[in-house]
Amino acid sequence: MVARSYSRGRSLLAVMRLAVLTFLADPQWLVPSLIAPVVFGLVSYELFAGSGPWFVLYAILGAGMMSMWGQTLYGSGWATGQDRHLGTLEPTLTAPTPYLYIVLGRVIWNTLAGLLGGAIVFVVVAITYGHPIPLANPLLFLLMFAFVITTLAAVGVVFAAAYVYTRYAGFVQNVGEFAFYIGTGCMFPVVLLPFWSNPVSLVLPPTWALDALRYLAIPGYQGFSWGFWGDMAGALGTTALYLGIAGTVFRRVERHVLEAGDLNDW
Amino acid sequence: MNETPLRSSIARTFWVNAIFAPRTSLGFMRLDFVLGTIFIIPFTQMVFFAFVASLSGIASAVSFVVVGNAVATVTYSSVFSVCQTTDNEKEAGTMEHLLVSPANRFALYFGRGVIPILASLATVTVALVYAVVIFHVPFAPGSYGVLAVSIVLTALAMVGFGLLLGGVALYLRTSIILGNIFLFLGLLLSGANFPLTNLPLPLQYVGDLLPLTWGIAAVRAGLNGAPMSTMLQLWAYVGICAVASFGLAMALWKTFERRALSTGSIARF
Repeated sequence: MVARSYSRGRSLLAVMRLAVLTFLADPQWLVPSLIAPVVFGLVSYELFAGSGPWFVLYAILGAGMMSMWGQTLYGSGWATGQDRHLGTLEPTLTAPTPYLYIVLGRVIWNTLAGLLGGAIVFVVVAITYGHPIPLANPLLFLLMFAFVITTLAAVGVVFAAAYVYTRYAGFVQNVGEFAFYIGTGCMFPVVLLPFWSNPVSLVLPPTWALDALRYLAIPGYQGFSWGFWGDMAGALGTTALYLGIAGTVFRRVERHVLEAGDLNDW
Repeated sequence: MNETPLRSSIARTFWVNAIFAPRTSLGFMRLDFVLGTIFIIPFTQMVFFAFVASLSGIASAVSFVVVGNAVATVTYSSVFSVCQTTDNEKEAGTMEHLLVSPANRFALYFGRGVIPILASLATVTVALVYAVVIFHVPFAPGSYGVLAVSIVLTALAMVGFGLLLGGVALYLRTSIILGNIFLFLGLLLSGANFPLTNLPLPLQYVGDLLPLTWGIAAVRAGLNGAPMSTMLQLWAYVGICAVASFGLAMALWKTFERRALSTGSIARF
């Protein structure tokens, strides 16, 4: 048996290191992860101003989720588009390390950066609010926040896999950004949307996770009728489904590309 | 032998830049992006903020944010796309050639704004149709003409502002951050989502400097059937913003050009 001459763990660490360096060298990621969410947070805070103490949490959760969304999807998904643009997608796909590990390294870093962005949004809106944020259990809130970003990362991984097949990654991300915010109900409960749109929302793992987070953080919150634990089960189920889909798509992508010998068809 | 001196034609420079810039130096001017910017982004952005406003429980807030965002979506095709024009020249390595060409700078710069101005007009028009038809925003009868003037002036001023940011980007390595910052700041400081008076005074002054602020005010006044004296005043503000933006953009371009020619290099930028 021939021993593997590479280590997946080492590849993962190398990708994370490269993701950090790229993040620091290319300041445009500040926009989706920081500037946009802070602005959305302040705008929604102003819109909700005077609607009660719990609405500040809507602003924080929504804008924090936007920050995480920007970081995970732009950072992870767009990286595939950048690889294509820079001509590094083919060498990356033909490298001994499975492409899934490359994307996973980016996702892990972007998850951490997304959490940082969410924390900054929290601080900015809290300072603007000028009062203590009404959080019953801050530790549980933080854990749930991390769980929400995991569900977002699951979407990001699927998108990253699908982007290998398309040159419209930028189009999907830019034009579909607000549609995703609406669909997941990041700034308002999904139950406010027309009933026919709910199945579309429920396909997205962050919809469940955000509803659960609101049940946890906002007393008297009226979300989906199945409540917190139903949301958690839905979030776990859809996240597992997304990760399963991502794994399958990545295997197919690699096989397709290696069979075809180039990426020109896509 | 009598040689006719070769002169660049101002009209040709203008039209060549108007036609070719969307395919070369302007950002996000592919057909799919343009159609998405005109038809999809305004709708989704307006729906998003309408739901946020409806959650606040203030009945009039929905109409307010819908109109504000209908006009604010002009930023995508005007500011965000146009500000990348100088950046892309530098990236493509064509900036040096442009600087030593005899082309009239105003025709060159203004020509690049033609397609974005048309895209901006289409974006705001479609967004206002959404506002009236889908969100039932009140529409004063007989205000078509007033609205048309407001939209044209806003598109002109916003493209001018995009060129101004493009002028600033001459001195930077990237313009996309600049475009993004003003794309999002517009939602906060222009009165698109809540009255400017809700902001601290210094931020109100910053908002007053943005052409989008006056464009939104003019469109809102037009929809409400404001008297002509009010409209003229608002149009004057939008016009001043447009002239100032184009003027400052040209001044930045000239300064950059002079410094580049005196040093023989643009490498420092």
